[in-house]
Amino acid sequence: MQTHKSLVSKYLFIVAVLICAFVLMMGFKSSEDTYKPTRHTVTIFKMKFNPEHLVVNKGDTVVWINKDFYQHDVTEMTSKKWTSKPFNQGESWSKVITGDIKYYCDLHKVMKGTITVAK
Amino acid sequence: MKTKARYKLTVICALVMATSGLMMAQDAPKLTDPEIASVAVVANQIDIDYGKVAIKRSKNKEVTDFANRMIEDHSAVIDQAVALVTKLGVTPKDNAVSQSLMSQSKETLKKLNSVSKKDFDKTYIDNEVAYHEAVIGAVKNVLIPQAQNSELKDLLEAVLPALEAHLGHAKMAQSKISK
Repeated sequence: MQTHKSLVSKYLFIVAVLICAFVLMMGFKSSEDTYKPTRHTVTIFKMKFNPEHLVVNKGDTVVWINKDFYQHDVTEMTSKKWTSKPFNQGESWSKVITGDIKYYCDLHKVMKGTITVAK
Repeated sequence: MKTKARYKLTVICALVMATSGLMMAQDAPKLTDPEIASVAVVANQIDIDYGKVAIKRSKNKEVTDFANRMIEDHSAVIDQAVALVTKLGVTPKDNAVSQSLMSQSKETLKKLNSVSKKDFDKTYIDNEVAYHEAVIGAVKNVLIPQAQNSELKDLLEAVLPALEAHLGHAKMAQSKISK
């Protein structure tokens, strides 16, 4: 037969464990929920993507801005899976990044760049 | 074999003739800004004219895509040059270098229009590689150092990376065609 005191301490212990579990869960949840995707800019100028190599977090957005007076595009390099289509000086194009990317300008094939998702 | 070797020699001679005006320009008397503007417009227009022949004569997508790019980009440079000289109130002035470029381009155009369809792609791309190499040399060593107006100098410096990108693109096309 358990005493009233031991029952209370057992009850308090269970409540403490539940509170800890709840706090831990909230902690993990809030760190995920509070991450705000960032916007990164790649400037296209003098026939170069600047920066040529960019590291971002998954879900971030990259915006390419054309500052040349020539048309450019941003095209997936290995199999042309996607392309921005040509855009003019002063125009921009953006993409949400979900994985590593190698890209190039299909109009000026020597222009290349990479986006790497941070581990 | 003899005919092929003779043909190659003719092509090489034509390329040397086509680019010698620009190379000679390195020893040419000092050019004024209106003369530099004229050389810049003429040099761009020549490559547009070569591109138009390529679109008409080639069935190779690599070649026609490259030719279309040359037309688009060199037209953009001419638009920039015209906007600048209009802003500066300068009239491009014909000179010995631009005249030499024009007369040599006539010879090259004759060649591009008369070469057999089979040999056209190689002739066009080989000429593009040689022409861009010569123009890059002239812009770097003659036009930029001699330009007095800072905006004209800036425009020439802005054009240089594009010429280098075109040369790299032309070499890529050249290696695919020669396979």
